[in-house]
Amino acid sequence: MTASCRDLERALSGGDPALLAAFEEHATGCPACGRELSEWRRIGEVSRGLRRSWESPDLLPRIRQALAEESTGAAGVEPEPSGARSGLWRWLPPVSIAALFLIATAGLWVFRNSGGREPLSEHWKTTKAPILNDAAIEEVDKAEQAYLASIDKLSKLAAPALTGATSPVLVNYREKLTVLDAAIRELQASVDQNRGNTHLRRELLAVYQEKQRTLQSLMKEVKS
Amino acid sequence: MGISLETKELALTGTENRSVDPAALVALFETHGERMKSIAMNLLGRRADAEDAVQEAFLRMYRGASRFRGGASLSTWAYRILVNACYDMLRRSKRRPENPLPDEAALPAGRPEDHALRLSIEKALSRLDERERTAFVLCEIEGLSHREAGEVLDVNENTSRTLLFRAKRRLQKDLRSAGAFLPAEAP
Repeated sequence: MTASCRDLERALSGGDPALLAAFEEHATGCPACGRELSEWRRIGEVSRGLRRSWESPDLLPRIRQALAEESTGAAGVEPEPSGARSGLWRWLPPVSIAALFLIATAGLWVFRNSGGREPLSEHWKTTKAPILNDAAIEEVDKAEQAYLASIDKLSKLAAPALTGATSPVLVNYREKLTVLDAAIRELQASVDQNRGNTHLRRELLAVYQEKQRTLQSLMKEVKS
Repeated sequence: MGISLETKELALTGTENRSVDPAALVALFETHGERMKSIAMNLLGRRADAEDAVQEAFLRMYRGASRFRGGASLSTWAYRILVNACYDMLRRSKRRPENPLPDEAALPAGRPEDHALRLSIEKALSRLDERERTAFVLCEIEGLSHREAGEVLDVNENTSRTLLFRAKRRLQKDLRSAGAFLPAEAP
């Protein structure tokens, strides 16, 4: 088989290996086709280096959480008779979620602006400094660890009640905890970039405290 | 009832309404997650968007696993859902994919002499038509065959080949007019 300049497009389209081989042979003696072929190959070679790779340690936990939420949400949905989700009832779930979100946000706002009902440490009683020193950071880290340990313990106790929860009260708790977790993730990301920022650390501890209280309240609800 | 599919990495539960064991999707992420991130990054141009698209794809797989028929391989089914999630994100934001910023590029270290051409290709890629760009990303960057790319794009092998050819020709034209090929690359 022989090829000529007119076979350029067909040869590069890749459907006929024999034609491509013939065109390569032709290109060795034809500068214009040789240039086309060379550029074509360069694009292929360099493009293979465009494969991306980066660490994303948060992604799998995010996916797990989203799937768990989807799973428990779907498990709670029972088949309904035709027409059951009509009228005002149809709007109840989105409205209750929106209301819960507003209440949680307002609660957090009030809590933060009050400085917290329970002083988290001696340092918070006195400091006005926008930046924490090393000793203060260590103290705050310890306070955070204490909250995290408590939250972890409570979360384990609460998990069975929340998984597959169908009662409105438990669903509301689950939604509130989701909102708090999102706030914690956001604040943690900011704190990681600036560990000495007093305002951020105070906010993060306040949200931890709120989550701890929510879990304690949930456990009371479950026991009653 | 569980059905074992493709390297036993995903067990679909054969009920009508429920779809798939979340743990099986986690296993799927461990096998194909890196490539999914790479595909999404090259379609969307931003790392955060790429991760959102991958997460969205897994949710869609969870919801729609009962529609997986087994005719396609599991990986191409996952990539297809991912690509559609990327398209939806682009349409929602009514934007074209971004040229990744250097610190977001997450590229493996390549040959230094390729760097300029690689950046030019990235830039030119964002100007391609959606399906041509996808064919290019799948075949040239990720190394999928035309059969696999066809399954992702829901077209036959020949159409995938045509899409890739058009994409490369457009890129070649763009790169040439931008002076991206070094004189040494010409014979």
